[in-house]
Amino acid sequence: MKILVSWLREYVDVPGTPEDIARTMSVRGFAVEGIEPAGDGDAVIDFEITANRPDCMSVVGMAREIATAYGLQVRRPAVRGRDTSSPVDPTAKPSLSLASLQPGGEDDVSITIESPDLCPRYAGALADVTVGPSPAWMQERLAAAGVRPISNIVDVTNYVLLELGQPMHAFDLSRLSGGRIVVRQARAGERLVTLDGQDRELTAGMLVIADATQPVAVAGVMGGAASEVHAGTTTILLESAYFHPLSVRRTSKKLGLKTEASMRFERGCDPRLPVTAMERACALLEMTGAGRARGTVVDCYPTRVEPTSLRLRRSRVAGVLGAELHDSDVRRILDSLGFALRDAEDGWDVTVPTRRVDVVREIDLIEEVARHYGLDNLPVAFPPVSIASAGFDPRARRARQLRNVLTGLGFSEAVTFGFISEAAAAPFAAEGDPVPIANPLSETFAVLRPSALPGLIDAVAHNRRRQVRDIRLFEIGAEFGRTSGERRTIACAWTGAATAEHWGGGARDVDFFDMKGVAEVICQALGLSPRVETVTRPWLVPGRAAALIVGDREVGVVGQLSPTIADRHGVPANEAVYVTTIALDTAEALVPAGDVQVESLPRFPSIVRDVSILVDDTLAAGTIRETVRTTAPTLLESVREFDRYQGKGIPEGKVSLSFHLTFRSAERTLTDADVQPAMDAVLGALRDRHAAVQR
Amino acid sequence: MPESTLDRSAVDALRAQFDRRLADASTDQSLKAVTDEFLSRKSGAVTALMKALGGLPPESRREFGALINELKTSIETQLADKRAALEQSRPPAGAVDVTLPARSMPVGRVHPLMRVRQQVEDIFARMGYEILEGPEVEDDFHNFEALNMPPDHPARDMQDTLYLGEPIIGGTWGAHRAHTPAARRADGLASGIPAAQVRAATLLRTHTSAMQIRYMKTFRPPVRIIVPGRVYRRDNLDLSHTPMFQQIEGLVVGPGITLAHLKGTFEALLTEIFGDVRIRLRPSFFPYTEPSAEIDISCGNCKGSGCPTCKHTGWIEILGSGMVHPAVFEAVGYDPEEVTGFAFGVGIERLAMLKYGVDDIRLFYENDLRFLSQFPI
Repeated sequence: MKILVSWLREYVDVPGTPEDIARTMSVRGFAVEGIEPAGDGDAVIDFEITANRPDCMSVVGMAREIATAYGLQVRRPAVRGRDTSSPVDPTAKPSLSLASLQPGGEDDVSITIESPDLCPRYAGALADVTVGPSPAWMQERLAAAGVRPISNIVDVTNYVLLELGQPMHAFDLSRLSGGRIVVRQARAGERLVTLDGQDRELTAGMLVIADATQPVAVAGVMGGAASEVHAGTTTILLESAYFHPLSVRRTSKKLGLKTEASMRFERGCDPRLPVTAMERACALLEMTGAGRARGTVVDCYPTRVEPTSLRLRRSRVAGVLGAELHDSDVRRILDSLGFALRDAEDGWDVTVPTRRVDVVREIDLIEEVARHYGLDNLPVAFPPVSIASAGFDPRARRARQLRNVLTGLGFSEAVTFGFISEAAAAPFAAEGDPVPIANPLSETFAVLRPSALPGLIDAVAHNRRRQVRDIRLFEIGAEFGRTSGERRTIACAWTGAATAEHWGGGARDVDFFDMKGVAEVICQALGLSPRVETVTRPWLVPGRAAALIVGDREVGVVGQLSPTIADRHGVPANEAVYVTTIALDTAEALVPAGDVQVESLPRFPSIVRDVSILVDDTLAAGTIRETVRTTAPTLLESVREFDRYQGKGIPEGKVSLSFHLTFRSAERTLTDADVQPAMDAVLGALRDRHAAVQR
Repeated sequence: MPESTLDRSAVDALRAQFDRRLADASTDQSLKAVTDEFLSRKSGAVTALMKALGGLPPESRREFGALINELKTSIETQLADKRAALEQSRPPAGAVDVTLPARSMPVGRVHPLMRVRQQVEDIFARMGYEILEGPEVEDDFHNFEALNMPPDHPARDMQDTLYLGEPIIGGTWGAHRAHTPAARRADGLASGIPAAQVRAATLLRTHTSAMQIRYMKTFRPPVRIIVPGRVYRRDNLDLSHTPMFQQIEGLVVGPGITLAHLKGTFEALLTEIFGDVRIRLRPSFFPYTEPSAEIDISCGNCKGSGCPTCKHTGWIEILGSGMVHPAVFEAVGYDPEEVTGFAFGVGIERLAMLKYGVDDIRLFYENDLRFLSQFPI
């Protein structure tokens, strides 16, 4: 809310520079967005008015707050002026009686409220006017507040809106069919061209102001173009009403139309203000020579809104603020803000002015007291500890551990958005499984990510475009799906060097087995030792994709990213990107409970035997290993491939595999004689089951 | 050899010549050449002198013989010394050039937002808080309604929400407290967290406060928790906004918790994060707290005299806080007459930007390794 300091000073004699005022008010709940000089030592202060304080969306409202902050009195707006060339005389008495508003007669306007729940009050008055420009001082004040001057009539309504916070509207009476006002809900199929020239469809439930035949304004939002005041207008009907906040809010949202009026109505105006505002508007018409009210203010106000009363307990003030305040401070602050106090046994009974829509219970009064007492004047203490902390969420702890492991492996942590484009999501989820966002910011953020990988690949591409070639990134975060809901994941991507270029040689790019190693380390960190099986995934290169499986649950996937997808994200298709994802929630559920129990260290030496065999090159090493393991279970400690060879000397379709077999006994030192039968059995089994030929 | 060549000056000249050659010899090879030149049995200059001795009269022969012998010994000694010196200066077997570059040991970096998050978590953990995580997709009740924001509440505009096209299963949430037997007894929980709190998620949470509701609906006071995590708002990407950002919200509830406790907590937190700063509370508005306050720190850049960083106010807004609104307690079944509490929310990006001098929030989400690598290991 932009307000000229000189306008404020019409209502309160606040001392100091605009900067002083801004500083003072910013610690009273009114942050200042900016101060702009406005000539002659004047300035415009842009106050940020929080959503709960519609009563401060006006000059008088802010003046009241400033008066309280500075311990000053606030003047009320005058309704009589002396001349039209200067602003309202600040010394005028706060009299609201108007000579021009005489008791009713034939000329009174007819007002019917058909929806009193949506429009509890509607006041109207007629005025004879001569349309022209408004005086310069009025135009300047409006312009300073960001309101465009239009004509002396419209400017008066806007002036009152800014000054008192009461939105008003002026109709050209001659354009109102039947010369009457009906406040009702819109009927199906009704339309209205609003002041902004838009032809709008009205829907049932929207509150409208209608004449005898059709809507002429969207209540509390915007008037209609047809009944607009124009150069030839001679008689106007002024509207000053109170509309239900929710009704205005819904209508404004539905129409996508926010106005100075709707912003005030939807937050809550003062139901007691419409007639005061009407009188002020009539006075301004007179003062500026724009016109003269005729007849009375017709005030349709079927159910009076009474101020509420709240009990404020001394003990509660101290209990919330942590300080015993003097009664005189509480009294001074609330009184200055317009609350009426009556002593009660444990505090006060406080009458809340109807404009204070934000004050509905005791705590709201305590806030008022705290705000103007000064939060900085309250004491500082430390909260007592009364229970032992249960510490970290295991997931937060897990994330820290994984961060340590992965940064140690050379991976840097990325953080990417939780939503991605539909196209980016498609390869990573079953059709229809990605969760669309109903009101996305753009196509780029259209669905919740079914995997952290697309975002991570974007990050790879970003780095690649900036000439970073060796990239290792990981992210820990949530993934989403229609069927599986939200779940935690860790994703890694690796492209470029596995061993960086070095003068001593040995440079090598990342391959499947590097990434498999990373996946296995992550699983180890999680306390799992999964088996690895071939899988197919639309986002992985066929034949270079594996699943990590514990029991019958898949905990993760590792493989080479499909070059088509890499290319789509902007990574050159000829540069291999290896990826892995591990489902942290699934993994967490599989981790064996309890602490590790150590095994005693072997007391006897082992015997290592090497075996080289020729087998079909389609046979998985894992299958051979399994055969070895099951054939010699008791003494065999480990079996590990140390060479795989195809090429010269090896028949087409065959592969030479070499294993270290380590044997050990817990009871004694083994001899060749102990190991030989096991070796014979192993070789026999390999021959029988896999047609292996020993080399 | 003519007699005339064999006099003192010839010996001196040879000595001088040797000194020059020796000084120039700096390798094994050149030293060998010098040795040959002077001492070679066949063609050495000193050998030649020796041979010439025979042609001298006996009395001169003795005299010159001693002179030449002395020259020869001196040359031999000097050559031996030089050889030893050369040997000394040679690197030992297997020596390497230690100034060559190392083989790089790539070490990654923790994301700066997570660095800050972990620092804040650690400070609160020391203050006895439980650190909780919760689902990112939420339902309207936990995200808004229970936080004193009924449907159509204008405050919902303050945090424009991203809604899901259709409801999905929300994420799980854990509270370590549920796994401590004593607390479980005190809270009357059979085991873990009641599944009844699972509702279909319809929106992306706009704050992590939603978790506070889940926690209070499960556990009895006292409460002392923080909830870090990702939150979402319908903000377009610019210098200071991202549609997703990181937040840490906290909640302390118990008998006798006051605004003074809130002040003390943030003095401790913010001076630990930012060093020697002053803090200030500014009244503000949040639907779920009353009174509400923004917390500012004095601008570290200009020390309060005003600069662009603090928009010439001397203060920088850091976080929102306030005393828990009684309506929130009522929504979770706490009695606002029995307990009071304070709550707060802080954007991790904001802390990180101030701490590390980052002026564009988007840098945190580009994951540029040239940016990430600037942070310590």
